[in-house]
Amino acid sequence: MMIWETVLAENTALETRSLVRIALFAALIGVLGLVPPVYLPMAAGVPVTAQSMAVMLAGLVLGGRNGALAVALFLLVVALGAPLLSGGRGGLGVFFGPTAGFALGFIPAALVTGWLAQRLPWPRLAANLVAAMVGGIGVLYLCGVPALAAIAHISLTKALLGSLAFVPGDMLKAVLAALAARTVQDSGALGNSRR
Amino acid sequence: MMSGYLAGHSILHRLPAGLKLFALALLSLLILPMDAPWRLAGALVLTLAVYAALGRAALARVGLLRPLVPLLVLMFVLQAWAGDWTSAGLEAGMASVLRIVLMVLLADLVTLSTPLQHMMDALETVLRPLRPLGVSPRKLALAVALVLRFVPVLLSAWHAREEAWRARSTRRPSLALIPGFLADTLRLADRVAEALDARGFGRGRGPHAE
Amino acid sequence: MFRSPGVRPGGAPPVTRGDAHGIQIRDVWLNRGPTPLFCGLSLDLTEPRIGLVGPNGSGKSTLLRLLNGLMAADRGDITVAGLNARTHRRDLPTRVGFVFQNVDHQILFPTVREELTFGLVEQGRSRAEAREEAERLLALHGCGDWGDRAVDALSEGQKQLVCILAAIAPGPPILVMDEPLASLDLATRLALAARLARLPHQIIMASHDLDLLATFDRVIWLDAGRIVGDGSPGEVLPLYRAHEMARAAAQDTLS
Repeated sequence: MMIWETVLAENTALETRSLVRIALFAALIGVLGLVPPVYLPMAAGVPVTAQSMAVMLAGLVLGGRNGALAVALFLLVVALGAPLLSGGRGGLGVFFGPTAGFALGFIPAALVTGWLAQRLPWPRLAANLVAAMVGGIGVLYLCGVPALAAIAHISLTKALLGSLAFVPGDMLKAVLAALAARTVQDSGALGNSRR
Repeated sequence: MMSGYLAGHSILHRLPAGLKLFALALLSLLILPMDAPWRLAGALVLTLAVYAALGRAALARVGLLRPLVPLLVLMFVLQAWAGDWTSAGLEAGMASVLRIVLMVLLADLVTLSTPLQHMMDALETVLRPLRPLGVSPRKLALAVALVLRFVPVLLSAWHAREEAWRARSTRRPSLALIPGFLADTLRLADRVAEALDARGFGRGRGPHAE
Repeated sequence: MFRSPGVRPGGAPPVTRGDAHGIQIRDVWLNRGPTPLFCGLSLDLTEPRIGLVGPNGSGKSTLLRLLNGLMAADRGDITVAGLNARTHRRDLPTRVGFVFQNVDHQILFPTVREELTFGLVEQGRSRAEAREEAERLLALHGCGDWGDRAVDALSEGQKQLVCILAAIAPGPPILVMDEPLASLDLATRLALAARLARLPHQIIMASHDLDLLATFDRVIWLDAGRIVGDGSPGEVLPLYRAHEMARAAAQDTLS
């Protein structure tokens, strides 16, 4: 994978700070999957956690490349057995379940979110919001729905209909992610100031 | 320790991680084309027997699949509906639900019988041929370790924020906590990067080098 | 002498504590942002135990970071255990271990063993060698069975001890510590201070704990990057205490 080549290259000077930020954001994605701060009406009995919001945030705050790396690292740690996927799931089994496409889709979702947010020529909040919706919802479902259809042996339309229940929640998360990212972007916490 | 590993001394525990992963890949190739529900059910019974043989803690892991249940039911209904509720449709629905449960349980069997370090070592072996291309398994191992180390740290930081909120408000802690939490995480990342540099990581490439 | 620093292949020439001792700071200038902090700072740090006192923002932490190579001076020379801090900045971590105040900002690995082996592997030792060395160090400090423990399950004091052991594992002759005991309870602080007293390393510590600094060989009082006092604890600490109490009284009347 091209992204991994960039992060793993011993001679590419991936700054210590970028490496640590990627790792801590991966941890943050896990933490936001464990604490359920979004109290939405239960969608199809599945509690909605802030995990997919954390994926949008990864793209918005770290940028496309590093955001996608953070998500990929998070998924690797899940694959290695850490029970960090929404609701405390972990292990290799995750990647054989019906929602595997959504889990893996987190990577391009963060990539596109970050890539778009940096290129849309609009005010920050609007750019964040549109990027989070296109990347964190559009791209995510583009990966997740066909995979669901294939794994569950159901038609694409049915898979899409089944997934639509989650879209309102995801829209809300995109709004919240756009707001939270703007607060951080404006606070200077991302800047290079160090004592 | 935060991992899916269950300590034990079974044969499964003693097999090398690479072999287990290879076997899992092979099994998935065998199972994916299987369509007869009775065959899949048989394989599932066998798999559950392995869990039972590994003990109560392993069997309890099966319960962790509970969040999947609504989705599996939905899948079954959709497929049976697509088949007009004929026996063929019901069978197809059964088969795909069984296939998923079986694959998930088999994969988790590898996870719970393999310590994280052995998984990392297996991963390192896989990545080794890529080293001439500039891929560094060492950096990846460091990143994985950092994630495992900082999940509990961030979790307790989150709970501290929640507590501070509850101490001053009767409302439920809300997403208003997230921006502050994010900023805290980024600041923490800067401190941790400094600690890494202080210990000679990425020598000479400190933030003030340029 | 604890252990001579390991020699990295292709690294700096081997320097043991015998041929170069302590730290020499010569005419160091450093700006913090647009404002000057150090203007021609010169110090010879050779005593085994040196304390740094001063209000927050006085430059204590910055000075410690210069010694370990986390920061570089704008002008002037710093020599650490015989190494020039400018030309051998990347090798400073092998001579100077750093212990920070907050353990959660510096423990990088989930288990104690990984934490201790990291610095050794960074030096170019094999993993097996590093593990052996970590076990030896743990046993030496009475924590023989800590290797497999999850860092998260340790107490604050135990975590800080792990930080100290991780800093000395690669064998630096010098330790710099930025308020290492500040967030610990009294008993833990005393116990760790007693352990530190037994270490053979040269220790340079920024601290607000005047009782601890009273046991040191030398105390340097910094304010806004300037040396206000420098001498034995008996000379410097009473003056510093009186000054800080006057400052507290002044702040009190202002509010």
